[in-house]
Order: sequence, then C-alpha cells, then structure tokens
Amino acid sequence: MVLHLFKWLGETPVGFFMQQSTYAFAIVEMFHLLSLTILGGAILLIDLRLLGFGFKSQTAGQLAKELRRWLQGSLVIAAISGILLLAEEPIKCYYSPAFRLKMLLLILAVLFYFGVQDRIFARNGKLALERTAGIISLALWFGVALSGRAIGLL
Amino acid sequence: MVLRFCQWLYDSGIGTQIRESIWVFPIIETTHVLGMALLVGTIAMLDLRLLGLLFKQEAVSEVASRILPLTWAGFAVMFTSGFLLFWAEAAKSYYNPAFRLKLVLLLLVGLNPLVFHFTIYRSVATWNYQVVTPLRARMAGVFSLALWTGIICAGRAIAYFQK
Repeated sequence: MVLHLFKWLGETPVGFFMQQSTYAFAIVEMFHLLSLTILGGAILLIDLRLLGFGFKSQTAGQLAKELRRWLQGSLVIAAISGILLLAEEPIKCYYSPAFRLKMLLLILAVLFYFGVQDRIFARNGKLALERTAGIISLALWFGVALSGRAIGLL
Repeated sequence: MVLRFCQWLYDSGIGTQIRESIWVFPIIETTHVLGMALLVGTIAMLDLRLLGLLFKQEAVSEVASRILPLTWAGFAVMFTSGFLLFWAEAAKSYYNPAFRLKLVLLLLVGLNPLVFHFTIYRSVATWNYQVVTPLRARMAGVFSLALWTGIICAGRAIAYFQK
C-alpha cells in the first residue's frame, strides 16, 4: 500500500516537476535544511532544559510553550519539503534502509514529543522523569538526523 | 599564496586521509550538518527575541546569557568539523564559488555581533524588557537571520560545485 502511495507521488505533476527541474531539488533541500535548523534548535533547547542545562530561568514546560509555534511551524515546513524531496525518487526511497529507519524514528520522535513529553511538562518537577524524557527525545531526533543524512550516502 | 596554502593542506597526510577514507569524510560532514542546529538553531532564537517574536517576557540579556553558551559550543563543533572538511578539499574549495561566498558571509556574520555588542547592546539596560527592541538591535537580528540563511544555502551548494 505504501509502495502504491509512493508510486502515485512520483507520478503526480509535483513528482514530475521535481524529477525534471534542474534546480528544484537543490532549492527544496535548502528549505529542508533551514527548517530542520530551527526545529533542531527548538528541540535542543527543550531537551537540554529537561537535562538541566541552558535556559534555566524557565521550566521545560514554559520553554516548550514559548517555542511551540516555531517547533510546529518548522516541523510542517520540514515535512512539506521532505515530501517534495521524496517525490523526486520515491521508489528508491521506498527500498532505502536509511529512509525506512528515518521514517520509523521520526514517527517515534513526534509521538514521543506530543504524546509523552507534553504530559511530562504538565506535571512539573519530577527530575528523574524529565531527565529520562530528555535523553530519549535527544536520542530519537539524533537518530532521525543521522539516518536522514545517510539516505543520500547509502 | 592562498592557493599554495590550500594545495599544501590538500596534499598533506591528514587531508589526503580524510578525503580518501570511505567513512571519515561523511562522518565529519554529518557532524557538521547536525552542529547547525546547535549553532544556528540557538542564535536564531536570540535573533527572534531581538525582533520581539519569541521570549517576549524575558529580558534580552537573560535570553542572551542562557543561549550564547550553547551557541559557542555549536561554534566549536562547526569550526572544527568545517576546518577538517576544508583540510580534505582545500585545493578544490579554493576555486569553488559557493565556498568563496560562504567565507564572505561568515566574515560578515562574525562582524555583525561585534558591531551589535559594542554599539546598541551597551545600552541594553534601557531596553532590556521591551518586546520590540530599538531599530539597530532589530537590524542586528535581521542581518544575523539573513546571513545564516545564506551561509546554510551556500554551504549546501559547495557540494554541487565541487568537482
């Protein structure tokens, strides 16, 4: 089913455009990089705060609330630009182990952030819980970035 | 003379080893990409505070003192990994227009906080809590965001121009 979806994506006008344009891939990739810089910055500030570093004048929950718009906005831009990049060679990505790992880790990282971390922010002060959440989140996002970079290498 | 220095770096043992190894170059490059979030992702948050778009209730000096240590850590990662990448590719980078543009932008992005620090930031006490900071502080924020955007794009383009 996913394979069908990917095939369809490659055959949409957007897919054709991405495959035939000389500069589209490079330009979209730059948007992908810029959005993940902001996303990574927001995630880092929040997770490092959970571990007790950085922005100590706010709780991790307050920090997450401040950064929410930027985190969500950059995540949306990263996702849209990511789908466009995917449309350039969907079948190759489908069979790429790095791409599969990235999608798995990305789903876990997003679920962990919005499902688990958000709840941990709500009940302030459980230090051991906060630290564990910070480490898990950092590890997941680190894995996303690493496997994402590997898509182009493998 | 710069070209000869680049050629010498390129031909040196370490430069050749990084370039010819299957894994070392991609690992350093990946570190360089990940470090972007630590360096640019954090400084962008301070720029957004200067523009009144983030941490509106916090004092500018407070945001700066919390964020800049992370930014400096990011700078250390980026400078080290970036220099190692340059070491391996120096002779090619010399002729690379994207690399040259990136160096110019890096120089400008280094001057920007120097000017900021020695001019408008001196009077930070008088505008520390303003949501919308003075024009010159906002300009520093805009320059920083624009220059870093250019640096990331030029940096990515290096690989497209490298032969």
